[in-house]
Amino acid sequence: MPAVAPESKTGYILDKLQSLSGVVPIGAYLVDHLWSNSYALVSIEKYNQVSGELQTVPWRIGVEAAVLWIPLLFHSLYGMYIWSRGKSNALSHPWMSNWMYVLQRWTGLLAFVFIGWHLYTERFGGHGVTRYAGVAQDMANPWYVIAYLLGVTACSFHLGNGLWNFACKWGIAITPKAQHAAAWLGAVVGVGCTLAGVAVVLGFHYAWFPLGGYVQ
Amino acid sequence: MADKTFIVRIKRQQRPDESVRWEEYELRYRPHMNVIICLRDIAEKPFTQSGVESTPVSYDANCLEEVCGACAMLINGTARQACTALVDDLEKPIRLEPLTKFPLVRDLVVDRSKMFEDLKRTHCWIPIDGTYDIGEGPRMAPSVQEKGYPLSRCITCGNCLEVCPKVNQRDPFVGAAIVSQVRLFNMHPTGAMHSAERLDALMLPGGIADCDNAQNCVKACPKGIPLTESLAAVNGQVLVHAVKSWLRGE
Amino acid sequence: MTQPKIIVVGGGLAGLMATIRVAESGIPVDLFSIVPVKRSHSVCAQGGINAAKNLKGEGDSTWKHFDDTIYGGDFLANQPLVKGMCEAAPAIIDLLDRMGVMFNRTPEGLLDFRRFGGTLYNRTAFAGATTGQQLLYALDEQVRRFESEDKVKKFEGWTFLSVVLDDGGVCRGICGMDLRTMEIRTFPCDAAIFCTGGIGVVFGRSTNSVVCTGSAQSALFQQGVYYANGEFIQVHPTAIPGEDKCRLMSESARGEGGRVWVPKQAGDERAGKDIPENERFYFLEDWYPKYGNLVPRDVATRAIHKIVFEMKMGLVGEPAVYLDVTHIPRETLDRKLEGILEIYEKFVGVDPREEPMKVFPAMHYTMGGLWVDNQNQATNVPGIYAAGECEYQYHGANRLGANSLVSCIYGGMLAGPAAVRYSRGLESGCENVPGAIFERERVRQQDITDALLNQHKGTENPITIWREMGDIMTENVTVIRYNANLQKTLVKLDELSERFTRINLQDRTQWANQTLNFVRELGNMLILARVITMGALARDETRGAHYKPDFPERDDANWLKTTKASYNEGNIQLEYEPVDTSLLQPRERKYTAKA
Repeated sequence: MPAVAPESKTGYILDKLQSLSGVVPIGAYLVDHLWSNSYALVSIEKYNQVSGELQTVPWRIGVEAAVLWIPLLFHSLYGMYIWSRGKSNALSHPWMSNWMYVLQRWTGLLAFVFIGWHLYTERFGGHGVTRYAGVAQDMANPWYVIAYLLGVTACSFHLGNGLWNFACKWGIAITPKAQHAAAWLGAVVGVGCTLAGVAVVLGFHYAWFPLGGYVQ
Repeated sequence: MADKTFIVRIKRQQRPDESVRWEEYELRYRPHMNVIICLRDIAEKPFTQSGVESTPVSYDANCLEEVCGACAMLINGTARQACTALVDDLEKPIRLEPLTKFPLVRDLVVDRSKMFEDLKRTHCWIPIDGTYDIGEGPRMAPSVQEKGYPLSRCITCGNCLEVCPKVNQRDPFVGAAIVSQVRLFNMHPTGAMHSAERLDALMLPGGIADCDNAQNCVKACPKGIPLTESLAAVNGQVLVHAVKSWLRGE
Repeated sequence: MTQPKIIVVGGGLAGLMATIRVAESGIPVDLFSIVPVKRSHSVCAQGGINAAKNLKGEGDSTWKHFDDTIYGGDFLANQPLVKGMCEAAPAIIDLLDRMGVMFNRTPEGLLDFRRFGGTLYNRTAFAGATTGQQLLYALDEQVRRFESEDKVKKFEGWTFLSVVLDDGGVCRGICGMDLRTMEIRTFPCDAAIFCTGGIGVVFGRSTNSVVCTGSAQSALFQQGVYYANGEFIQVHPTAIPGEDKCRLMSESARGEGGRVWVPKQAGDERAGKDIPENERFYFLEDWYPKYGNLVPRDVATRAIHKIVFEMKMGLVGEPAVYLDVTHIPRETLDRKLEGILEIYEKFVGVDPREEPMKVFPAMHYTMGGLWVDNQNQATNVPGIYAAGECEYQYHGANRLGANSLVSCIYGGMLAGPAAVRYSRGLESGCENVPGAIFERERVRQQDITDALLNQHKGTENPITIWREMGDIMTENVTVIRYNANLQKTLVKLDELSERFTRINLQDRTQWANQTLNFVRELGNMLILARVITMGALARDETRGAHYKPDFPERDDANWLKTTKASYNEGNIQLEYEPVDTSLLQPRERKYTAKA
């Protein structure tokens, strides 16, 4: 059953918002989040300073809700609705882009579960205050590490591939050449985010500060 | 010397509400055979490999040179036209099934009227004032013609819909073929005057937003139509139209 | 009377044009077609559509187009309508252009034209090498627009069985069969326009589509419509031979510079591309220096036959000659001929841009067809109109390339309004015809179908009968005709008709039974085959596509006349009527002159 009346354009608008929200604010936030967390690779003090600043922004709950929670919830739930309307067929038509279609859905689900858990443990569990020591303590648990590696990779893939989808679905990259370039751009973003995320996770686990060399 | 033979397996279903059965036929090989010739051989001797008398297989076919679009079916799992499916190039046994995204009529025949209905829904035509002699058509740059002509070769075979994960019973998505036609008509000087009607139609359920960029369509198109290019182009057009009409009433 | 009701049978170019014209006049149309109209055989037309628009500074004119058409048709066509067609052609192109046909363009954005057979002028507008497809789509879109406005109702997936004639012999409706439910039903109408296309399937393998059986024409013939000039069958010189069909290699390949040749040395086993220029025999250019590779189709076909069968100079291993476009720049080929080169590539597996194509003549078109009058596309039965390939009016004894599309559209343009005028002028419309008249026809048709379904002792296979009919028709009633062989063909057709009475339907289901439909068509084809053969046998001369070595000259004194076949309780009779040559004096048709 269609979710909207046959003559309604609501579906179109929701679809477009779903697609947009994946890039802005969610995608942008992911990049920013990886950026600020990368201070963990610099030094404990720097990390605590940066996270402290972020945790003390004015109107915090409102900003978090507007920029993160609501878009995230909408992007995920409406995304799952979209998923439910499709019928994957990558086994019978095993083209690469078709596998990407399937992966985009599963990484989305994985990212949703991971982010939920991540928020629960890191945001609400600590009542909104995160310090290096606390995270490092969590990350000592190898299961945490595995979950984070999976989660960060899923989020990064979802963003990278999503950027390519976005370029096509918003009519930005039209010619095959442009779409090819957009795919590369997505791949670079995806791989870049994955590498940064993995480095941060391992940094916490091993108390590793590879970027701290130039602090002193 | 015994003739060289090969096996064709066909998914049969006498009516939409009857059960499916698979039949195997052993056919005599000749050079340059295609799937149509196989089906005609069966019609001439409708006896399965085990000697059971059956009926000729129902299938759609017309031009037999891949320009009418009628004979689309799944051949060894691939959505394609039967007339250009040469026996020499196919893995044996050859497996024939009807397309799965359209209501089944019988055997290999499906009902693709959805596509024609969607062409209607999206106003895929150039509205002319009449057939009277009122002079020449608009001038058109050769570069526009060279972009438009490949799009206008779409034979409405339905292969792009068949392979699309977003075309199924749950979703009324019109599919790449129709979106590409919208692009064609929006490209024409007269058609462009009425592009808003088509773009509006593509904002409704089943419209362009349902495309999720699996990009299977372009690989299944027997005519090599740049369908993904059309989808992206029309996506942009719809978006610009939506924003302009919302913000500025244009 | 109330609003008239008009039915169009057949959704190719002619049928769609007629539909548009009727709908435009405000009268609703029921459009019947076996296949979705967008899949009609018109899609197979490749090369282009003729109109003397004289955009190339050659001094072309509609009169020259008319002259070429009449001359190319060996003076057998009635001249006034042909002249009308040639005069209307430029406006028809404009109309199609306005409908959005993606015609090829010149740098100035105007329509581009190329040269076709039987003319010295660049007169053929084209959309790549799929012009018929592009034209059909344009008309299909217009009809869809009318459909969305409820002015046209389509009955796709219905086959025509017969017309409903009242006791005065006036057409009051049609009887059709739903190819899915197999239901037989009558539909009242005041006028019916038949645009049911070609008859290639009668010849087994031809360039025609599966639906081109001529079944509708034959059914009408059996109900009293004259069939004219049936013996004039065009064999296209260049096609790819195939077991299921022969695939056309458009004349446009030669229009764009393609050359026909064979190795000078018979039996030369080298691949075509390895044979040096000076060892190739360009026989058309040699024999017909003025027109070269663009002689009319009958001339080219006979030349190829002569090379292959008389001179034994055909290619090694198969009856074929080379059609060579390898010297034309790839970019030009892809822009102007891609559609047909793709066909060759897909079906033969060889790139024709690299290697010369192997081609051979194949049955392509019928110049003959339902008899229509010389102004309204009206047949001799009141209320029945015909347009397109299914009627005989425009091409005489041989059709020029790229004239069929224009004749289809012109015919449709005339037939629509004529049917409207006729319907409006009727004193009493179909709604006043007693139901019993319709029921009578429905029962007659149902009985035929039931008899086939209930025939359990049949032993004859329909496909086998069809193959045998096609083989003998192709062998004896195409390029070269001998009276002895035509006699044999009639005997064979007798045999096949007798075997047809013992047909085994194999499929007795009442749902999407394609065999049942095919058998009904086959019965009609057997009768049409006889009409064609009888016409050929009677006509002791050579004219256009009709070539009898025993009567090698055109014989205007005895045969400048139209064959009219009629059907009377199982008997086919031939009669003749004079050709209207009021505009052009017949002159000798000769393409051998020097340039």
